[in-house]
This record gives sequence, structure tokens and C-alpha cells, in this order.
Amino acid sequence: MRNFIILFRKEMKEGARSGKWVWLPIVLMVIGISQPLTNFYMPQILEMAGNLPEGAVIEIPMPSGEEVLIGTLSQYGTIGTLLFVLAMMNVISHERQTGALAFVMMRPVSAFQYMASKYVAQLCILLISLAASYILTWYYTNILFDHVAWTLMLASLAVYSLWIVFLVAVTLFVGTLLRSSGGIAGVSVVFLSVISLLTTLLPKYMEWSPGNLRAEASNILLEGEWGSSATLVSLSTLALSVLFFGLAVYMFKKFERFGE
Amino acid sequence: MLVTVKNLSKTYKKHIAVQPMSFSIGKGRCIALLGPNGAGKTTTLQMLAGLLVPTTGEIEFAGNMDKDHRTQIGFLPQHPSFFNWMSAAEFLQFAGELSHVPKKQLARRIEETLAFVRLEDVKNKKIGGFSGGMKQRLGLAQALLHEPELLILDEPVSALDPAGRRDILELMKQLKSHMTILFSTHILHDAEQVCEDILMLKDGNLIWNGTLAELKQENGALAIKLQTKEPIEGVLEQLDIIEEVEYVDVFTAKVLMRNLADSNELVQTLLQHGRTLIHFEWLQDSLEDAYMKVMGK
Repeated sequence: MRNFIILFRKEMKEGARSGKWVWLPIVLMVIGISQPLTNFYMPQILEMAGNLPEGAVIEIPMPSGEEVLIGTLSQYGTIGTLLFVLAMMNVISHERQTGALAFVMMRPVSAFQYMASKYVAQLCILLISLAASYILTWYYTNILFDHVAWTLMLASLAVYSLWIVFLVAVTLFVGTLLRSSGGIAGVSVVFLSVISLLTTLLPKYMEWSPGNLRAEASNILLEGEWGSSATLVSLSTLALSVLFFGLAVYMFKKFERFGE
Repeated sequence: MLVTVKNLSKTYKKHIAVQPMSFSIGKGRCIALLGPNGAGKTTTLQMLAGLLVPTTGEIEFAGNMDKDHRTQIGFLPQHPSFFNWMSAAEFLQFAGELSHVPKKQLARRIEETLAFVRLEDVKNKKIGGFSGGMKQRLGLAQALLHEPELLILDEPVSALDPAGRRDILELMKQLKSHMTILFSTHILHDAEQVCEDILMLKDGNLIWNGTLAELKQENGALAIKLQTKEPIEGVLEQLDIIEEVEYVDVFTAKVLMRNLADSNELVQTLLQHGRTLIHFEWLQDSLEDAYMKVMGK
């Protein structure tokens, strides 16, 4: 436990020094609030950009606040997922390649402590960035569109956060399999996309899939209540995350050498 | 004995990096691990340091039944690579905490080790800007920090300039008095300067295990350099106390003796044959000769 805290503190410090604590929240906030802003100013944008004949009338139905937030979640699902994977693809491979990992593993540190510190630290950075972005988006949505209850906003955020929990576990696991950052990012993104794709293609067999999390979060926003399917998806996502994390620890233990 | 190694070996898929080897390390000794590049020195040291899982074999520390000996070892990798965003003091703090050095003691130890490796002026600078020698010294500092019983240094001086090399060797000499040191090198002169025990590796085999003195005694025959006023040839061949003669020029010869005590007879014979001796020198046996002999076997 003590080692975990020491390693966790080091991860946090590294996140701050490398600027990850700055750029990740900012980029996510930009992605987030661009949704309500573009939705609100769409008529003006079209007018400015498009070569529309004079007298053309553009009528775009004003979306509800919930719909805007659902659109934001969809942004997180695509650009956000890519960004998250890129942000944490080299948390292990970098230390492994430079040999800095040797300085950790030559001391009485267990594979579990090491991986847990990486997992929790990355989760902290990603979740806090996501929450900051989502809450800011919610704020703008409330100003520009109709009011969305904060309970609904938080509930949908909580459900969607599970996707991050899953994503971090998958990316960490792939990080123990491959050495190059590019490969880690590629394999993780492809894997996550395939899960999402299969979820839409085979809805009958994929009810448990973490790919349903976004739909469940949207559902909560629209219906205003927590369905039984949301519970199933949440539990299965947590179970899968634990599984991938366990595999990551197992693979880490099997590393031949921690040095260069 | 501080450490007993039994049947330690390492095999990668097909390649055998280290053949099964057994040796022990006495407390307070300084041991040099010698051998050409690719002999398995780094592999052996990494296994001892707990960074590499051995294929077979056991490593036992006296008085520690636990499998994990990492608290008792300080290790300096061949190419130390740190977290470049940390400062030297931060890194030592991090390393010390991971090794469970008590908090009060740690602050003192960090000051001590930084002073010992003479990095106290740059302790708040980022490691990323350090020179190779400074990194090596910081590597030594982190290895000493938790006062380990066994200090393992992998090629501590190979990548350094002459001044940096002398620095590290001086530090090692000071450490010798209260620590057991095992270090690998391919610079024989360094081994000779600081060590009393030698381990030699060749192609993953342990081919010599003993003291430096024994190594020289067993593998270096006594050599004598002779120079006479008159041409020297023709005299030495008759003597059976001589093992080998090598003529440097007409007046000078290098003689390998079977026995130290016979050197007087050698001189007498020369005088009897009317040669005026102008130079007589016992050539000190270098470790290099012994090394070459053991490697050639």
C-alpha cells in the first residue's frame, strides 16, 4: 500500500510536469463546448460559410438540452476515445524503453503495486478532465438551450465514466504486450472500435458490451431513469475492466527483464 | 558468506546467455566480474539484482529466507536512465521511499549521499540536463541510499572520461571498507586497483573464481628482462631452468622462468659466459597476462 501511494504520487507529479494535467482538460473542454456552441450558432455558421442563394430560409429545429448533451457524449466516444488512448499509450512502454523502469523494479515493488499506481493515476487524470469538460458543456447547454437537471447530468456522466474505466484497463493491458507507443495506440483503438462496432451490428448478443455505455448514458438523459440494462452493462464493464487489469499485471510479471 | 549462488543460468529461446554457475560472495569483499563483451556479465548482475528472472538456480542471502532480496541490494545499471523530469534530490527521495528508508533517516541519507558523490550543488536541477558522469554518480548515489549490504555496479566506469572514471574508482575505494561490492568491467586495470576477488566469464561460463593474488600466481609465470653489453644469444638456450626465451633485439631478451628461485643461476650463467649484464628487471605480472591465459584456456 505504501509503495502504491509513493508510485501514485510520482505519477501525479509526472502528469503535472509533462503538462498532461493542462492540455488534456483544455482539449476535452474545447471538444465538449463546441457541441452546444455549433448547435446554437448553426444557422449563422451556414449563412457565413455556405454560398446560399439569396432569400434561402434555413430552419433548424432547436434541439433540447438533453439532445445537445447526447451529441457531446458522441463526440467523447469518437475523438475523446482516440485522445484518451493517445494520452496514455506510453505510460509503461516509455519507462520500459528508456530503462527507468529498472530503477523502480530494483526496489521492493510488486507488479500489482506498479500497475495499480499507473491505472489509478491515469484514471484520475482522464476522469477529472472528462468531468470538467462535461460540466462546462452542461453549463453552456443550460445557458443556450433548455435546462437539464444536474442529477441527470451527473448520472449520465457516471455511466459514461465506466467507458473510461474500461478504456484505461484495455490500453494498459495492450501496453504490456507491445513495446512501441504507436502499436499500443493502434491496437487499443482498433480493439475499442471493434467492440463498439459489434455492439451496433449484433445488438442481441452484445447486451453486456461496454460499447452500450454511451447509449445507456443517452437513455438516462432522455428517459430520466436508470434502466435494468444499464445495471447489466455497468456490471459487465466493471468485470471486464478487472479482467483486463488482472491480465496486465500478469503480463507485467512475465516481463523478461526490466532493464534496457 | 553473504550471498550464495547455486546453479544460476539464463536461457533465451535458443540462446544460452549464462550457463549454470555457482559461486559465493564473502561479506566485505570486493569482487570484479571480468569477461569480454557478450560474456553474460550484465545478465548475471541483473539476475542478482532481481531485475531478470533466472531460468534455473537460486540466489540466497545469508539470514534472509525471503525470496525477495531487493532491499539488501543497491544496483547501478550499465546505462542509468532516470526520470528526466525529476531533480536529483526528488529522484533520491522517490528511490529512498520505495526502499522503505525511514523518513527522518532518508533526509539525512540524501544529504550524505549527494555530498559523497559531489552532486549537492545540482541537487535541485533536472536530471535531464546532467552529463554522463553526473548521471553515473547519481546512479551510484541511488544505489547507496538505503545502505544495502551488497552493491552491484554494472560497468560503472566504461562510459566515462578519464576524470569521471577516477572519480568513481575513488568512491568505490572508499565504499569498500563498509560494503560488499560486485562490479563488472572489461577494463582490467580498474579491477586490479580496487578488487581482491575475481570472477571471469567467457561465453556464459564461469571460468575463474578466486582471489586476484591466486589468479596471478597460478597463471603468470615469472618473467625477467635481461640486457647485456655483448650479444646475448647463444647462452640462454642451454639452461633448463628457463621455460621460454623471447629476443627483443640482439642484446635484450625476455625470459620466462619456471621457478623464482633460479634467477640467481641465470645471472651466474650469463657472467660465466662473459656477458656483461647492464639491465636486469623482474617484469611484474600484469592481470592482463593472467586474463589472457585464463581466457585462452
